[in-house]
Amino acid sequence: MIQVWKKLRKDAGGYLFVLPAVIFMLLLIGYPLLYNIILSFQNVDLSNLAGGKREFVGFANYRTVAEEEVFGISIQNTLVYTVGSVFFQVIIGFCLASFFSMKFKLAGFLRGIMMISWLIPMTVTALLFKFMMGSEEGILNQMLMTFYFIEEPIGWLSSPNIALWSVIIANIWIGIPFNMLLLSTGLSSLPQDVYESASLDGANWWQKLVHITLPLLKPVIMVVLMLGFIYTFKVFDVVYVMTGGGPINSTEVLSTLAFRYSFSDFDFSLGAAVANVLFIMLFVISLIYLRMIKKDEAI
Amino acid sequence: MSNRKSLVLSIVGIVIVALFLFPVYWMIITAFKAQTEIFRTPPTLFPQNFQIDSFIAVMQGDVGQYFLNSVIIAGLATLVVLLLAVPSAYGLARFKIKGVSSMMLIFLVTQMLPATVVLTPLFIVFNNLGLLNTYAAPVLATATLGVPFSVLLLRTFFMGIPKELEEAANIDGCSRLRAFLQVIIPISLPSVLVCGAISFFFAWGDLIFSITFNRDQELWPLTAGIFNAVGRYGIEWNNLMAFATISVLPVIIIFVLLQKHLVEGLVSGSVK
Repeated sequence: MIQVWKKLRKDAGGYLFVLPAVIFMLLLIGYPLLYNIILSFQNVDLSNLAGGKREFVGFANYRTVAEEEVFGISIQNTLVYTVGSVFFQVIIGFCLASFFSMKFKLAGFLRGIMMISWLIPMTVTALLFKFMMGSEEGILNQMLMTFYFIEEPIGWLSSPNIALWSVIIANIWIGIPFNMLLLSTGLSSLPQDVYESASLDGANWWQKLVHITLPLLKPVIMVVLMLGFIYTFKVFDVVYVMTGGGPINSTEVLSTLAFRYSFSDFDFSLGAAVANVLFIMLFVISLIYLRMIKKDEAI
Repeated sequence: MSNRKSLVLSIVGIVIVALFLFPVYWMIITAFKAQTEIFRTPPTLFPQNFQIDSFIAVMQGDVGQYFLNSVIIAGLATLVVLLLAVPSAYGLARFKIKGVSSMMLIFLVTQMLPATVVLTPLFIVFNNLGLLNTYAAPVLATATLGVPFSVLLLRTFFMGIPKELEEAANIDGCSRLRAFLQVIIPISLPSVLVCGAISFFFAWGDLIFSITFNRDQELWPLTAGIFNAVGRYGIEWNNLMAFATISVLPVIIIFVLLQKHLVEGLVSGSVK
């Protein structure tokens, strides 16, 4: 009896340490998540927000949203944005990680200082790129024209065909150091003796890259790809500040669309429906990611 | 590696980093230019007429208030994160209690969720609780960014501390809580500091929570202020860039102070 009591007291101590944070996250993220699903099946706008009568309307919100042309566009944009950003971030990140893995004097310091682009508030970065990408006065066009790469200024953010890629460029800049850092850690954990014996066998750097580095680094690369996907898919600040979704919806993504429905039109249920579509797509990716890291270690 | 090769690589490295960080340089340098110089063709890579009028202009505006709000919001959010995450990570690392893996899963999953998904429900909940247009709304919301990150990072760290340290403290008659406060916390201070700094950055960078929950501009942080200023300053990019430089300054200062620890911490906190 005394032992049971002791065990209980010991456990209670543990829960006192652990639970406050768990409850905090469940209240502020878990509960809103469920609430969002309910909202998406109701008809909540400004009139019944604070306690008026709410009705369940089935899939009506989803149908309304899906009938708008902008919904399809924003799904497509979100995917292009994510895949484009992650692809270039990982490739550039990998090149830089390889470069800085050569142990020269300033390597660690220089690699660290690049993190600044990741730490700057995204709102500021977005504004900065908006400034640099201005069609008349922007430094980017000015430089390209000075070196005769282009003759006419490019409408980086004003042309519907280009704007999405301009926003992607800003996002790539933000994400490069983070990818580089994770890949650097992966590179530094590779066994050196494999490379030494490959050198003895006369392998050149390309053969070493394709036959040794990439296969050995595959688990790390997969994790980096997944994390990149998860963190990029929910993009909001960069797009919202740089273009606000325009011109003519050409940069509208799911999160900016959801935000517009909820907080410009005050059609909270439509916003919730779009946010839910975003959530479901992310959820599937997250499940794959969780399964992947679960193989590495028991969480 | 020979000294010569090291030197060459270092120079190449400096060039790469300089090119990569050019936007940051351009932001700072534009802030020191006069309005007429910004639109000059070809552009000047260094201000011909170095002036601080832009900083004076934005300081006379609302930047002071925005800055204070950012400090309050990010500071309080960091406090909330540390108070919740440090004990939680310790408990997950040390106590043999039921449900550890499902609680870990909660942190992993909540870390990945986009703000957009919880934004509308939180707005309604905060509205009903009367928390809209208070500091509490963005503080609570931005703390959810730091809590899971810090728990996951610190748990890994705590698991690496030898148990004998606390056992020695327990034999001395210390209670579990005192062992935690007097033995564990002091030796984990660098890691706790990293979590604090990163949670601070998360909260400092928030835009969406503040503009959604607080229509009252008196409570806006720098990010919301600068976003709003785009309309107000129009094409006065030198003023906007002065505003931007002020917004980034604290982040860069903290980063420089903690650089070595931060880089290590970011890796271990993100991959787990």
